[in-house]
Amino acid sequence: MIGRAAPGESIRLIGLEEEARLFLRLRISLVWQAVRSMVTGSRLRLSLVIVLSGLFWGALYGLFLEAFTFLDVLHADVVPLLFNAFFSSLMVMLVFSAGILLYGGLYCSPEARLLLTLPVRAETIFGHKFREAMWFSSWGFVLLGSPMLVAYGVVRDSAWPYYALLLPFMLAFVIIPAGLGGICCLLLVGWLPRLRLHLFTACVTLACLGALWFGWTLVTEPEADTMSAAWFERAFSRLRITEQKLLPSWWLASGLLEAARTDRSGRFDGTSLAEAVKFLSLLVANALMVQLVAGGLARVAYRRGYSHLAGEVPAKRRRRAGWFDRLLVGSSSSPGRPLRLLLVKDLRIFRRDISQWSQFLIFFGLLGLYFVNLRSFNYHNTYASMIGFLNLAVVGLILSTFTTRFVYPMISLEGRRFWILGLLPVDRDQIVWSKFLFSFVGGVVPCSVLVFLSDCMLGLPWRLIAIHEFCCLLLCAGLSGIAVGLGARMPDLRESSPSKISSGFGGTLCLVLSSLFIMLVVVVAAMPTHLFLLSRTLGPTLMAADGLLASAGGPWGTALSMLVVALAGLAATVIPMRLGLRSFRDLEA
Amino acid sequence: MIEFAHVTRTYGPKTAVSDLSLAIPRGELFALLGPNGAGKTTSIKMLVGLLHPAKGTIRICGHDVVADPRSAHLHVGYVPDEPCLYDKLTGREFLWFIADMFGMPRHLAGDRIDREITCFELGEFADDLSESYSLGMKQRLVFAASLLHDPDVLVLDEPMVGLDPRSVRIVKDLLAARTQDGMTVFMSTHTLAMAEEMADRVGIMVRGQLRFLGTVKELRGQVALEANSLEQLYLELTGSGGGGS
Repeated sequence: MIGRAAPGESIRLIGLEEEARLFLRLRISLVWQAVRSMVTGSRLRLSLVIVLSGLFWGALYGLFLEAFTFLDVLHADVVPLLFNAFFSSLMVMLVFSAGILLYGGLYCSPEARLLLTLPVRAETIFGHKFREAMWFSSWGFVLLGSPMLVAYGVVRDSAWPYYALLLPFMLAFVIIPAGLGGICCLLLVGWLPRLRLHLFTACVTLACLGALWFGWTLVTEPEADTMSAAWFERAFSRLRITEQKLLPSWWLASGLLEAARTDRSGRFDGTSLAEAVKFLSLLVANALMVQLVAGGLARVAYRRGYSHLAGEVPAKRRRRAGWFDRLLVGSSSSPGRPLRLLLVKDLRIFRRDISQWSQFLIFFGLLGLYFVNLRSFNYHNTYASMIGFLNLAVVGLILSTFTTRFVYPMISLEGRRFWILGLLPVDRDQIVWSKFLFSFVGGVVPCSVLVFLSDCMLGLPWRLIAIHEFCCLLLCAGLSGIAVGLGARMPDLRESSPSKISSGFGGTLCLVLSSLFIMLVVVVAAMPTHLFLLSRTLGPTLMAADGLLASAGGPWGTALSMLVVALAGLAATVIPMRLGLRSFRDLEA
Repeated sequence: MIEFAHVTRTYGPKTAVSDLSLAIPRGELFALLGPNGAGKTTSIKMLVGLLHPAKGTIRICGHDVVADPRSAHLHVGYVPDEPCLYDKLTGREFLWFIADMFGMPRHLAGDRIDREITCFELGEFADDLSESYSLGMKQRLVFAASLLHDPDVLVLDEPMVGLDPRSVRIVKDLLAARTQDGMTVFMSTHTLAMAEEMADRVGIMVRGQLRFLGTVKELRGQVALEANSLEQLYLELTGSGGGGS
């Protein structure tokens, strides 16, 4: 055994640069290992992510290319306004998302608990978690912003310096809001521990209300006026509020517009390039400044805030929904009681998990808001019917993200507590069916209300509303069947994090199958209606085709499509559930 | 080596640790006992700098853990009740990370890592990702990491949880040898037999207050005569005897 050396000879406090290098090495190792395990263990998921991201990028590029070509010809002067509006709203979102991510990383993660017991500077830990939060909060900006900016460059026929400056501009920009989010997070936790939650809730509520009000004022114009030149003019005049010269979003927008400018011969304009570099320098200087301030604040506030937060006592839970649970369980000892007890358990977990119900509320709330505003757009009958079916697909797709993210991992998480359920006098099938019922009832209520709202706002006839509601019912059953069935068929009993379970192979498969199922149902259900509407718009010159289309879109066509939809719904529910039930019966925990 | 001076810590209206004063000299193995919620883990978290005292000061090797946490941490090894590792690092990579954090020279770090891997029998899985480790394997790796820099003070929060009997034996022997070499150990435990077997002194905390401080022998002498086992003495002190056998 090696003898114990005197501490002074073998250890020392390392310098700031050494700490930074050490954490950089750590980050590289973690990313490398994560990529390696993804390549070896989740090839399907990785391929899907790459392909879908590529498709998404391409589609956005095409969209922006069209939009900028249109604007370049008629309204080139609105581009700065659009850039400013886009970047300033992005800045607000980045401040919030970086702040929230840093809160989790700095104050609630086991990693922070480990690092705080090592001889490392508080500002280094902050910097490490800050870079992580910045990446997670801003990768969407790169994915969304890069096709837009590349398309703008192509339309303006910009020279290479524009493209070379895109990444430095984006990087310098995202550091500023992320740093501001970090500063807010440190200040709130460090100095306002008791007011923290209330203040944060108030800020988020105000921001949401502001955004809603702004959105509302943009779309609630007199119906005849919508989408007219005057409407555009008024909407743009409201956006001028975002053109503030002290905002980093203005520096970014102005810098990019200058960099994209070319002279008459199509070569880059030296004066404009110098202006662009000036704006880039302004962004870089401010990004460094914000980082410096945030680091300094972390040195003073981080350890203190961590300790304060640990001393917070959670408010006592009030039994507000106890009556509902009792009502659901009932007092009888009927055979269905274990099933209802399991349902109540899942309902309580859902109620007490803010990440579940808040996402549920936000997504369905936004969708509801959009549906309420549908009346503002005075659609033609054909478009109204098409939009009705598209809205049905959107409702289904949002539900499928919830069933994949929250319902699919339920059996896996139950598996970890299998010793509790395994010892209870509960049939294993009942556990699986309780998950299905929970998902189905939880999905069908908001989805059918939303679909009904959308159809009413679009002024669709009762026949179409009934078709949509029927499809919605089958979508909820099918999506629940796929999520619960696959969850029981491919449980991951070692993982405790639902997000990691849902992002594995089974979760990805669940999302892909769910999307295919939604597409099948919506396309098959929509086809007869559109053939019917098409036959009415073709006119007398295409009589043969008209007759064929009319018969396909008539009652028999509709009945046939509904039969196919019903069979698809039944298959999506029964097949995965049977597979899942059989697998769960034989499961050894 | 360790000094608590009139330390108080509150959680809202509740006082978790009240006016704790305690000095533990070099080379002593001190065991902190007490029922759940007595303030043991809070005391340990304050000692390693995760929590700040509302009143009083804590010093390790003369360094105030609040005013100068880095200097204090340089002398401390910490084994928490729940091992925390990076899932996507191997055991060996994690040990290198810790060694670098303490500024150890490369050659010395390499020797120490090999020493701890041998000592805690980690060789078989040291190059696997730690996400594949069992609780016991993780705990052994955390032990190895905490001893890598030969700390002056080792802080252990329920250290034997998850360890198999062989690992428990290894840890006990190691602690005995290291304390002989001058390392100070501050340990919280529920295992009375372990405290009896290993501790030079024990402290018993009840509702945030140190009810007893002394050797096991002194403890036996202080409590009721009819109480003849350490367990019974402990139950008497903590007020949870309830007249049970």
